[in-house]
Amino acid sequence: MTATQTLRQEKSSLREAFSFSGATGPLIGLLLLCVFLTVMTDSFLSFRNFLNILDQITVLGIMAVGMTLVILIGGIDLSVGSVMALAMMVLGYLNVEAGMPMIIAITGALLVAGLAGAISGFLITEFKVPAFIATLAMMSIARGLANMITDGSQIIGFPAWFNMSAIIRYGGFLTLTVAVMLAVFVIAILFQRYRAGGRMLYAIGGNPEVARLAGINVKRTTILVYTSCALLSGLAGILLAARLDSVQPSSGVAYELDAIAAVVIGGTSLSGGTGGIGGTIIGVLIIGVLRNGLNLLNVSPFLQAVIIGLVIVLAVAAETFKHRKS
Amino acid sequence: MNIKLRIAAAAIATLSAASPALAAEVKKVGLAMPNLQADFFNQIKLGVENYTKELGIELIVVDAKNDTATQVSQVQDMMTQGIDAFIYIPAGAAAAAVPTRLARAEGIPVINVDRQPDGAPGDTFIAGESVESAYQVCKYIIEKAGGKGKMAIIHGQKGTTPEVLRFEGCKRAIDENPDVELVAQQYSQMWSPDEGFNIAQNMLQANPDLKIIFGQADALAMGAAKATDVAGMSDQVIIGGYDGDIAALEYLAKCDGPFIVTATQSTQLMGRLAVDSAIKVAAGEKVEERQTPNAVLTPCEDARQYVEKHP
Repeated sequence: MTATQTLRQEKSSLREAFSFSGATGPLIGLLLLCVFLTVMTDSFLSFRNFLNILDQITVLGIMAVGMTLVILIGGIDLSVGSVMALAMMVLGYLNVEAGMPMIIAITGALLVAGLAGAISGFLITEFKVPAFIATLAMMSIARGLANMITDGSQIIGFPAWFNMSAIIRYGGFLTLTVAVMLAVFVIAILFQRYRAGGRMLYAIGGNPEVARLAGINVKRTTILVYTSCALLSGLAGILLAARLDSVQPSSGVAYELDAIAAVVIGGTSLSGGTGGIGGTIIGVLIIGVLRNGLNLLNVSPFLQAVIIGLVIVLAVAAETFKHRKS
Repeated sequence: MNIKLRIAAAAIATLSAASPALAAEVKKVGLAMPNLQADFFNQIKLGVENYTKELGIELIVVDAKNDTATQVSQVQDMMTQGIDAFIYIPAGAAAAAVPTRLARAEGIPVINVDRQPDGAPGDTFIAGESVESAYQVCKYIIEKAGGKGKMAIIHGQKGTTPEVLRFEGCKRAIDENPDVELVAQQYSQMWSPDEGFNIAQNMLQANPDLKIIFGQADALAMGAAKATDVAGMSDQVIIGGYDGDIAALEYLAKCDGPFIVTATQSTQLMGRLAVDSAIKVAAGEKVEERQTPNAVLTPCEDARQYVEKHP
């Protein structure tokens, strides 16, 4: 029984690795959405708007990649928004208040974020705290620490080039922040498809006990996954700081929910073991295009919230329906 | 066929958007709101909405729900829609300068209302005179409390322009009354009534002999009034608010409760002023760098008239 299960797991993870098969539904949804917006608005279909959308999804995109890794192993990370805010405040504190060079500030911010993730992972594996609870606690702790750094105030006064990296489009196309996001996408896809570590995630998500018996170091991998997820949140925070040219401890409230929504819309199952980065990228694009499109359509802010909720329900329902049929 | 036409139209629109707008006429205005849950902002929005409708100007409104990053994205989207003027109320304390820079890159007028980002001022800044009005509110509640006793302040979102200025004004009134002791101060994130309720409840718990509370916004003061009622201390506590929200004015008009005074801001007027300024700047006229429609001290006896017609 377990043997066939792993076999099936292995097979499906192979299939996942070489196609967008799990994400065809979301992909069709995305294309339909684009066609609809092109017809309905004059300003959607333009190169400039496309670049705007890329700018707008950087933070969510990077966060959602980390969240995908966590959800693939059957976990959840509720702390990403808070960890992002903490990393931003550390960045601001080191660079502006303590006057250190940006490279040290960035390293420090990433270290703090990574540490937060490692602690969550440690709590989950060693103390058997459910991921939901461990990261819920980290969400509260990181938010509190972020506020403590400046007693709740914002920090402004980054060097001019920092904001420019989010504004200047190199080659008329890529801002530095978008380039970082694309690099994260490519690395994550390559890792998931071609490295043993990528396969391990599916094995753990499918059945951790079987994965352990198959010789996978489940504990170590789990801690690494939570650390990577937090590191990516920290990275997202640095990019957001560049985009806003300021940091404030109240940033990123409820971003974990956006990230989870993107992963789920992209076809990754919350119970772990199926889905992947490719789908998540499409999920992120759907959310980004939808928000952008609703703004362009001048839809009232109150109605926008309703529509985004409906799309999440629709995406998940379609996926469930497909599974039941097959 | 229709789709093809649309695509062609979109392509043409893109091309024409690339050339700078020469016409100084304002046909389309973008309004970036920080948070429509707050009545104060909603009133400004209504002011802009009604006035643009009167003038036949198209209006685009976005709501950042207090998230600076969301606001930057929304402003980017507005720019693609080709607005001719930008009315900007920054979300959050950091008051990102980025939206102003985006609008500057398009060469369109930027009108700031209520809040102004550091280091990137708009063409004009329209905001109520906060210091003097906050001074008057605090002076009023201190007088009503007999000029002495323990006092608490529920601040707005830390570091925002109104939070800083309203505290400055209120502090002056406190300093003039040496018998008033400021025993508690807390910051809210959203200027919302539920925050006001929780904060006030804790303050009353910690200081059972509290006599005066200043809520930096009416929503905070309303929450505090509710908490005072719940604690059964409404006879002992006197509360002042700020803004002149509709809900608060209706409460005040009854003159029956701990919350007795506010400063009514001319929110609708601010909206009209913003639109007028945008038109003037676009036409190349000069406007004042700072425009300050007055807030009016509104004790509960005066509240009725403003419920009927909000300034």
